[in-house]
Amino acid sequence: MNATPTASAIVRASLVDRLQSEVERTIQRNLKGFEYIGSPAPDVGTTPKTVLHRRGTLSLYHYHAVAEEVYRVPILLVMAPTNKAFIFDLAPGQSLIEYLLARGHDVYVMDWYAPSRAEAHLALENYTLDFIPDCVRRVQEDSGVEDVTVVGYCAGGLMSTIYAALYPDGPLKNLVCFTTPIDFSKMDLFRKMADPSRFDVEKTVDSLGIIPAEMVINSFNMLRPMSEAASQVRLWDNLWNDQYVKSFRRMERWGAETLPLPGGYFRQTTRELLQKNALYENRLTVGGRQVDLARIKVPLLSIVAQYDHIVPPACARPLVERVGSRDKEEVVLPGGHVSIVAGPNAVKRMWPKLDQWLQERSI
Amino acid sequence: MATSLNLDPFDMWRQAVAQLEEGMNMLGTQSLKSDEVSKTLLEISTVSLQMQHVLEKALSKYFKAINLPSRQEVSELADTLRRIEDKLDQLLPAAPQANIPRPARTRRPKPDAPTQFAPGPNPRAPEPKPRRTAGAKRMRKEAR
Repeated sequence: MNATPTASAIVRASLVDRLQSEVERTIQRNLKGFEYIGSPAPDVGTTPKTVLHRRGTLSLYHYHAVAEEVYRVPILLVMAPTNKAFIFDLAPGQSLIEYLLARGHDVYVMDWYAPSRAEAHLALENYTLDFIPDCVRRVQEDSGVEDVTVVGYCAGGLMSTIYAALYPDGPLKNLVCFTTPIDFSKMDLFRKMADPSRFDVEKTVDSLGIIPAEMVINSFNMLRPMSEAASQVRLWDNLWNDQYVKSFRRMERWGAETLPLPGGYFRQTTRELLQKNALYENRLTVGGRQVDLARIKVPLLSIVAQYDHIVPPACARPLVERVGSRDKEEVVLPGGHVSIVAGPNAVKRMWPKLDQWLQERSI
Repeated sequence: MATSLNLDPFDMWRQAVAQLEEGMNMLGTQSLKSDEVSKTLLEISTVSLQMQHVLEKALSKYFKAINLPSRQEVSELADTLRRIEDKLDQLLPAAPQANIPRPARTRRPKPDAPTQFAPGPNPRAPEPKPRRTAGAKRMRKEAR
């Protein structure tokens, strides 16, 4: 007797299985939906650390080493002032910091709190001529090592790059930039939003002082207007999946904790970078000093996200072309602006590449 | 013969959501590129911010008149307190810090260390250097 099932019978059986699985998921969705509503926000940034320094909006952390032996050169991660640095340390297994510690690096992080009214004047001068050099000095003191590697993410990368150009004689040992904007003419939508013929940045800053976090969030959301709604639909679809929900909530918390920006910084970045593209055109001055990227001579690693909608590759790629370093490398990896640092692909691709690059330059 | 036709309605629904998202995002970003839409959005945003500012000012005056702090002031006070607490923590004897491990800074890269790195398409990226040479060390010294 021939027992081979027909193609239509296989399809039918498969559909029945899928239906059964969907019914089970629907039950789980309903049960876990209540849990979701009632449960507190997930813990983030749990890797043990010591607060080395606090000054207004600035915090400097030192993460506790886990390896028996660490590389000589410490790493200072610089976060963008729009967001909290716990994106580097979302959860065990999803933490760049945990990964770097396990691979034998000594890690320090510059994080930000919401600026107070008294800090509304803060501008690039404060970040690149005061905060970063001050933190580098503290890292030197704490580690007892003169050399420091600076790793900046997004606007943190921008500030680190400006710092590197303004302090070409050290003590910077290596510079690593993740998705760092250089040619702002390639940020089409942000430039449209900041068009001087329609957007009066002076008036906005003068009336607000501090740029509210909602305005920062809205400007990012406008780049992908449907993604917020689609992510909620996907959350509902995956409510049965604890791992998905936890991961979603951590990222959601990070997005929700977007920080307000000091008006001075917003004014300067809008006018000088978005409207005039002064950094790319070699006309940016910070504290009266010209920011010339060709003065950067330290080894450079630039990591660019292939599908970045905030800092498109064309905006980030000129960094490697412009610096004067002989030892420089650009890596374009598949991923978006955030997933390149904290997504599943980061674990597989970006982190090992970063570790591999740093190892031989950290001895 | 295997067929690539997807008959799973749940998968089809998920694909439809992804396609809708992509289409709407594209439409949204295309509209933002048009002068009229970006101008209108900016005007809405400016008016809304100005209204918010005026409202905040009026509320602040009202709270001042009835001798009460505004939410903003309470939040700023809480921030200040948090910062004072952080400073106090740093001023206290650093007993727990003594227990933080301070390993020797003698680690060297292992030449045969396994790596999971799988680079994406990047025609411009040079091959990674295997080890630093004496020439590279000299270059670094010169650069510094």
